[in-house]
Amino acid sequence: MSWDEFWIIFAVCAVTILLCRVVPLFVLKGRELPQGFSYALGLIPPAVFAALVANDLLSPEMFDAGLWPAAAPLIAAVCVVIIALRTKSLLWSALGGVAAYGLLLLL
Amino acid sequence: MLGYVAIGLPCGILCSSIGLNPWQALLLSYLFYSGAGQFMIPNMYLAGASVPSIIASVSLVNTRQMLYAASFAKECSRCSRILAFFFAATVTDESYGVSIKKFEEGNWSVKQAFMVNLFSQSSWAWANFAGVLIGTSVNVPLPIAAFAMTSIFICLLVTQKLTSINIVAMVFAMFGVFGCKVLGLRGPAILIGAIIGVVFASLYGFASGQFPKASGDSVDEL
Repeated sequence: MSWDEFWIIFAVCAVTILLCRVVPLFVLKGRELPQGFSYALGLIPPAVFAALVANDLLSPEMFDAGLWPAAAPLIAAVCVVIIALRTKSLLWSALGGVAAYGLLLLL
Repeated sequence: MLGYVAIGLPCGILCSSIGLNPWQALLLSYLFYSGAGQFMIPNMYLAGASVPSIIASVSLVNTRQMLYAASFAKECSRCSRILAFFFAATVTDESYGVSIKKFEEGNWSVKQAFMVNLFSQSSWAWANFAGVLIGTSVNVPLPIAAFAMTSIFICLLVTQKLTSINIVAMVFAMFGVFGCKVLGLRGPAILIGAIIGVVFASLYGFASGQFPKASGDSVDEL
């Protein structure tokens, strides 16, 4: 990637992410939120994390290259679920996930 | 904090694969500071995507940060504008996961949460820096490096409270993401999927009486 390409991507993405992070907070800050609305906000974490996981693991063409390339990350994901539930640790989940996926790809 | 090192190193390795130098990776990590976004840039660049399409997709994926900031509105209602600004500007997926839990447990202030953000940001940035150095000297397969990020998201997901309403949110969010991809909407898939999850879980909560005095427009505002 050239410096020019880097600067364009960097500058635009940095500005849009800053706006996304800051603007909603200042719009909502200090207002009395309806109870239902606060309750809906509490549903954001499970929904967002599920969406992020699904985005990484699932796609319509995942089985195009055969069963194993699609199954390996799913099996590694199950390993991460077990590690995460037992340790509740982001570090061990990341290390365990990379190790499991690496080993599965070696098989 | 160590979790950031575990994903920062592979992210740096990915960045080195597209020819970024350690200082570019450091700058990107400090000012852009988005794990998923920074994994996407090298992935898309390697796949031959154009600069505008990389910007559009990364920015769309990052619109989920709007939901994070919004969910801290109550906690930030009594702190200064400057603190609220810097706190919001330094929130990202993982530190959001940590802070939302701490606020729930109580005894947690925006200042403390901001300190967590700063430490996370620094360990993330310097891990990226180190990752680029490793990437330029060792050959690491990229899909394996990228799986570190997926693992972090899985951990954050399964450590949520598994109430019926949360499970509805998770299942519909996953179907939403898959549905978006089927329709070719890859960039906004995460945001749309997450909103579908929140909307359906809200409807479920409302129908099953778990939703306290839900006002009609509460869901639409999201």
